[in-house]
Amino acid sequence: MSVSPRDFEAKIKERPKNVFKTNRGISWLLLTPVLIFFALLNVLPTLWMLGLSFYDYTLTSYKPPSFNGLTNYLDFVKNEQLSASVSRTFLFLFLAVIFQTLLGILIGVFFWKNENMPGRRLALTLFFTPMVVTPIATALFWKLMLDPTFGVVNHFITSLGFERTDFLTNSSLAFPTLIVVDTWMWTPFMALMTLAALGSVPKAELEAASVDRLPIRRQISTIIWPHAKFILMLGILLRSIDAFKTMDLTYIMTNGGPGDTTELIALSLYRFAFKSFKLGYSSAVSVFLLFIAIALTAIYLYVLNARKKAEESA
Amino acid sequence: MSREIVMKPSNEKATKITLTITCWVTAIIFFLPIAWIIATALKPKETVLDIPPKFIFVPTLKNLLDALQFSNTLAYFVNSVIYSFIAVFLAIFVSFLASYSFSRFKPAGTDFIMFLLLSTRFVPAAAFVIPFFQLFNILQLKDSFIGLIIFYTMFSIPFSVWILKGFIDGVSSKFDETGLVYGASRPHIMFKLVLPQVRSGLVAAFVFNIIFVWNEFLFNFQLGGLNTYGIPVGLFTSITKGGQVDWSFVASIGTLYVLPLALVIFFFQKYLLVGLTFGTVRGEV
Repeated sequence: MSVSPRDFEAKIKERPKNVFKTNRGISWLLLTPVLIFFALLNVLPTLWMLGLSFYDYTLTSYKPPSFNGLTNYLDFVKNEQLSASVSRTFLFLFLAVIFQTLLGILIGVFFWKNENMPGRRLALTLFFTPMVVTPIATALFWKLMLDPTFGVVNHFITSLGFERTDFLTNSSLAFPTLIVVDTWMWTPFMALMTLAALGSVPKAELEAASVDRLPIRRQISTIIWPHAKFILMLGILLRSIDAFKTMDLTYIMTNGGPGDTTELIALSLYRFAFKSFKLGYSSAVSVFLLFIAIALTAIYLYVLNARKKAEESA
Repeated sequence: MSREIVMKPSNEKATKITLTITCWVTAIIFFLPIAWIIATALKPKETVLDIPPKFIFVPTLKNLLDALQFSNTLAYFVNSVIYSFIAVFLAIFVSFLASYSFSRFKPAGTDFIMFLLLSTRFVPAAAFVIPFFQLFNILQLKDSFIGLIIFYTMFSIPFSVWILKGFIDGVSSKFDETGLVYGASRPHIMFKLVLPQVRSGLVAAFVFNIIFVWNEFLFNFQLGGLNTYGIPVGLFTSITKGGQVDWSFVASIGTLYVLPLALVIFFFQKYLLVGLTFGTVRGEV
């Protein structure tokens, strides 16, 4: 089909006012597969979970499931062990995310300042690998290294003159050890976010500032921070959410012990479901976690939109 | 005159070198635990539990070969490849359709659906295990590739939609309009005009969904079975192999698992950001 420029102009003029609004049929057709998947594998399980949470249903007892209203929720609120594990999870989240953020910003700035270093890509690969390794593997690796008899960590500790320690069964050390491992795993992520945040600062403004010899503190407060803060916030939010979900790591490394010093909420939930088979009760806990997740999503999107707006107005 | 101007080039060079050394040392420190696992895998089996640990040894590939030949190892890797590739491919295909629709037609409820999709990323996996477990029992999908593929397709859809919508938003809708004016069909516009321009989004979605599916443990463990377990479950069960922990074996499987990941990070580094932020943040690193 050949169209002369004049024909083309004419065609552009006669095109429908908004090509995209007139095609509702197509738009829903294109969405159908995703919506089917979503309905079957997200909406349905969620409703199922919601329903189960109102039932007394334990797999190991031969009683048929029976409706018990809000009992599961009330039990959950009253359960001190569970509320202890929720507050322990928040403590874990808080400490881990603070360490990761501070360290991550520091390392991120180093790499940012050093854009042309030799072998940067290889160095970043070594640095970034810990965060893409599945927590199951991470947990196993650290278990080997922290082993009280032949672990390499204890080798260094004893050669420095300290006592041989079993980090994972010592009730005052297990929790901090988990935080250290989580920090090792996720500091690279916060450094990555720092790099992205600093990368979002317009180069022209930075150059103008250095031409004007703006002191570094003023550069940070007037140029870098207003641009970088959104991505940093998103990073902290993502990390907080993931820290809240931590399960595989504790499952392998300590299994919640010693005692319940490293029992985080996701692990408790797993145990209710698959060790004691209290399906109704654990569904109630799941619903609670679902609400937290939805609230966190809303906060995350709020920051994301704030960033969009700031960019558009800039 | 300010100090910056007086600053000699040699001084600047010294800072650069210090900075480079700091960066390299940091990177190596973070990699040490993984390096130690690789070293453990390469050590002769009888020296693995030596006290003090051996730092200098003659490397051997025997453990790695043994691990590969051990009954299920290869099967775990093959299983992971089968379900991850099929599921991610399916997910990206349907997500491309959906995100094109979200981006161009903006049907009512777009924001809400995008919100719900994002929230799936934030729910602890354990919360969803029970309904899936029961559902899979009823539908008799446990330990079947079809079941896992369906599950992992859903697992990969939210991220794919978020990332592809972002990329399609970045392609001007003038392309679509021009195509329509020239009489191109809608599929032609989507697959011949828009798709080539979001190639990096597709690559990022593909690479990271594969990693996420490979790394997923809980659902594979609960919904899979001996025929369909993947690598993380293989790692998990490797500690219990034959009563006593065989650390050479664990380290070997760990090494076989980590090396491809490290290669992916090396070759797809520029997609790491978008991958790990679920497609919500894009930028230069």
